This record gives sequence, C-alpha cells and structure tokens, in this order.
Amino acid sequence: MNNTTINVDQLNSALNSLRVLRSSVSHVFETLSNGLRADHGEDGKDKFLLELQELLNNVNINLRDLEQTVNGLPIPTAPFNLGTTTYLSQETTQDRQALYTQLVNSYKWTDKIHEYSSFAHTLLSQNSLKRSYINSGSTKRRGKLQSNHNVAPLLVDNVINNIDRSYSDMKITISRPFASNAVVQINLGHVLKAIVAFKGLLMEWVMVKGYGESMDLWAESRHHVFRKVTENAHAAMLHFYSPTLPELAVRSFMTWLHSYVNLFSEPCKRCGAHLHHTSLLPPAWRDFRTLEPFHDECKQ
Amino acid sequence: MGVTVLQQYPVPENKTGTYVIELLTKRILALGASQQGQFLVDCESYLSHPQMGTTKTVHIFHNSEQPASVFSILDTGSKNIHVIADGLFDLLMMKLSQHYTSKKQTKIESKGPRFELGDFCIKLGSVTMNQSFKGILVEVEYRPCVTPNAVWGLLREFLQGFLGPSVLVQAPQHLVTRMNEIYTPIDTIYQYLEHFSAYRKITGMRTA
Repeated sequence: MNNTTINVDQLNSALNSLRVLRSSVSHVFETLSNGLRADHGEDGKDKFLLELQELLNNVNINLRDLEQTVNGLPIPTAPFNLGTTTYLSQETTQDRQALYTQLVNSYKWTDKIHEYSSFAHTLLSQNSLKRSYINSGSTKRRGKLQSNHNVAPLLVDNVINNIDRSYSDMKITISRPFASNAVVQINLGHVLKAIVAFKGLLMEWVMVKGYGESMDLWAESRHHVFRKVTENAHAAMLHFYSPTLPELAVRSFMTWLHSYVNLFSEPCKRCGAHLHHTSLLPPAWRDFRTLEPFHDECKQ
Repeated sequence: MGVTVLQQYPVPENKTGTYVIELLTKRILALGASQQGQFLVDCESYLSHPQMGTTKTVHIFHNSEQPASVFSILDTGSKNIHVIADGLFDLLMMKLSQHYTSKKQTKIESKGPRFELGDFCIKLGSVTMNQSFKGILVEVEYRPCVTPNAVWGLLREFLQGFLGPSVLVQAPQHLVTRMNEIYTPIDTIYQYLEHFSAYRKITGMRTA
C-alpha cells in the first residue's frame, strides 16, 4: 500500500513536469509564429533572437527535469492488470464506446458517496440520538423503559414532591384533571408561574405565565417576556428529555426553570444590559449548564 | 398590574410643555411604540372643618387605568390611610361637604398620550393646576413584574435610555420602603400624590 502511494506521487510529479515541458514548447512556437512585435523596437531582430534563445533554454531545463523524474520512476514489473476494462479500448462499435465516460462518471459518483458518508459518520457519531431507545442496548431493559409513560401516580408524586422540597422559593402543586396523568403548577417566587403536563414521568407540555395571570395549559401569556420564556422552556424540555432517565430529566428541567428566579433583576452575561436594544426584553434565556442569563440575541 | 415608576421631566428654559411632549413622543415612537389612546389622572383635595380638631386632608384620585375605582388618601399629618372604592365614592364626598370642603383651586391633573412598547406602558403627562401648566410627569409601567425590587434596575435602564443622561433617575420615595412587596395600583396613586404635592407648593413651573 505504502509503495503504491509513493509511486503515485512520483507519477504525479512526472506528469507535472511533462505538462510544464509541453507548455514551454508551445510557448516557443507561439512566439515564433507571432514574429517581431512593436515592443521589440529598433533593433528588434537581436532582441527577438535573445528572447527565443531564453525560451529554448527553458525548454531544455524542463526537458532535463522530465528526464530526471522519469528516471526515478520504477519500471513496472508486469503489464497492468486492468481486468475486463482492457477490452474497452478494443471495442470498435461507436455506441458501445460511450461506456467509458459512463464508467468514469460512476467512479466519480462512488467516490463522492464515500466522501459524504464519511462526513456524515463523523457528524452523527458526535450527536447521539438519545431521543430513541436505539442506544439503550439490551431488550431486557427496554421492557422496563417503556413503563416511563405509565408509572404509578404515587411514584410521580414522590419525584415531584422531592423536587419541591429542595427549593424554598419554588412551590410545586400537583393536580390530576386528566385521569392519572399529573399536571403540575409551579410558582416561582413572585416572578412567574409555570404549568407542566406530564405523561407518566415524561414532560409533555410547558406554559409559562406572569405572576398575576390565570393559569391554564393552552392560553399564552399576555406579556412578551413570558411568551419568550415559554418558547425557551419548550427548548429546554426537549433538551433535557431522556426516556431512559426520566427522573433526572424532570429534575434538570426544574433546576433550569428555578434559575428564572432572577429573570428581571439579573442583567445579560454577555452585553451586561437588562434590556436588549431591539427586542426590549430582559435576558429570557438561561444556559443549560451554567444557568447564566442571556438575551436570545446574545446567547451564541 | 406591573411596577410603575413616575418621573418628573424638567422643561428646559424657553421651551413649552407641548415641545417637550412632542420631543418625548418622537423618541418613544422611534423606539417602536404604538399610541394607545390618552390617559388622565386627577386629584382633588378636601379639608376637614376646623371644629373636627386637627385639620385633615382627603385626597381623591381618579386614574383612567382603573376607571371603575376611586382612590382616596386621608392625610392625618402623621400618616396616610388609603381607601379604594368604586365610583359612588364621589357622591359620598358630596354628602360629606359639611365636614370636608373642597379646595377647588388646587384641583390638579396629569394627562396626555399613552403608549405601549413591548411589555412597557408609557404615559407622557402634562400637569395642569387650574388650567395653568406646571410641568411634565412621565409614567413608565413594566407589566410582567410585580415586585419593585426585582425590576428596578431594568426600569432605571429603560428610563435613563429614554429620558437621556440629563435626567437623574431615582427610585420613588414611596417605593423605597416597600421594594420587596407586591405592587398594587394604590402605589401609583401615592407616587402621584408625592409629585402633585410638590407641584402645589411651587408657584409657576417646576424645573427640578
């Protein structure tokens, strides 16, 4: 393998010097055919001859280069084995000869496919598709996993009450207006209220509203800032979504939501201002890991 | 109901009130606001009869933002007591005219255009007492938030940017002691009372 690559390099340089030689030769003929030019002036003949001599010298140099590189090439031991493609050149019928260009095209095509698929592979290996069960492995675990949509209400209550107890300024109340699935209302200080619909232990819907607004699952807040926070909460819900570890997902989401306690009082970490100059909104985005406040426009 | 800050805007020398209102209107429209009608806050003060002991003042306020309510503040000299009632309270005051007499010449009001800009509500009021122009009061409300403490930095940033560096933006005296409490409409009325009292004490235009 290594041997062939060196061969290819040498071949390349040999072909290159051949091309240079050809171009210098064609340059000579071009100058010759053009003859004397206006810029050669009074004693044009001598100048022209000098120019021609220089060009011929160039041809000489290039020829020497080519000879050197060709000498460096290893002599092929046996005729190249081209397989059945050797017969292509012997084919004389005109319509069959078109095969060759098709062959070249298909070769290019497969080459591209190879290239693209290797790019795709590197990209996909960075983003594990954690929204599906593909990575979770054995079928034995899968049976357990599917029950996350359908867990005992008591278990859900326990998980949520545990989270409730860990924050003094975030009050969480559970209600079950839709059969066994929990709808959780979160009061975060005097800042905001959020309502989260659960399916088993998985979050399905979030709606964020202002302190004084009426709570319901579907109507949006009348304030721009809470509509923006709702949008971001949906993004967070999807970000933290993890069917294999639903409890962790809920807890991470609640931690993230709790960071909104300083929604109005904390300036943006990037631009240092409370209000963004175009949207006139406070920093309504919280980083998933550091929980630092940013404007939507500043978060990149 | 969000947090409201009332700010006096000094009228420059040789300029009229309408000039300042137009200037501020231009600025607020440039920020992208849309005008949403007019507003009016008025205040009438009643003095108790001397035979009732120490003189007490009752200030009666109407605010177009809460059109069905009448706000009254009883100023005993040492402390203020407020009552929020509905429109019939005005008629009750008329019945009490034997005990409380209106000081008609001190009837004062602030009115002008009202703008909405995102979650902000901005009102540019020209203050007039007895048809004479006294000054400009700018009211800015940030509606999503209910505690002054959390939102004061944001409001100051907005006011400073909108009114310019020449205006000193300070937390209203009334709010300083109750920064952590939930803001209610009467807090706005108290701020108007503060400013109106200052206007009444000054003859002519208030500059600072």
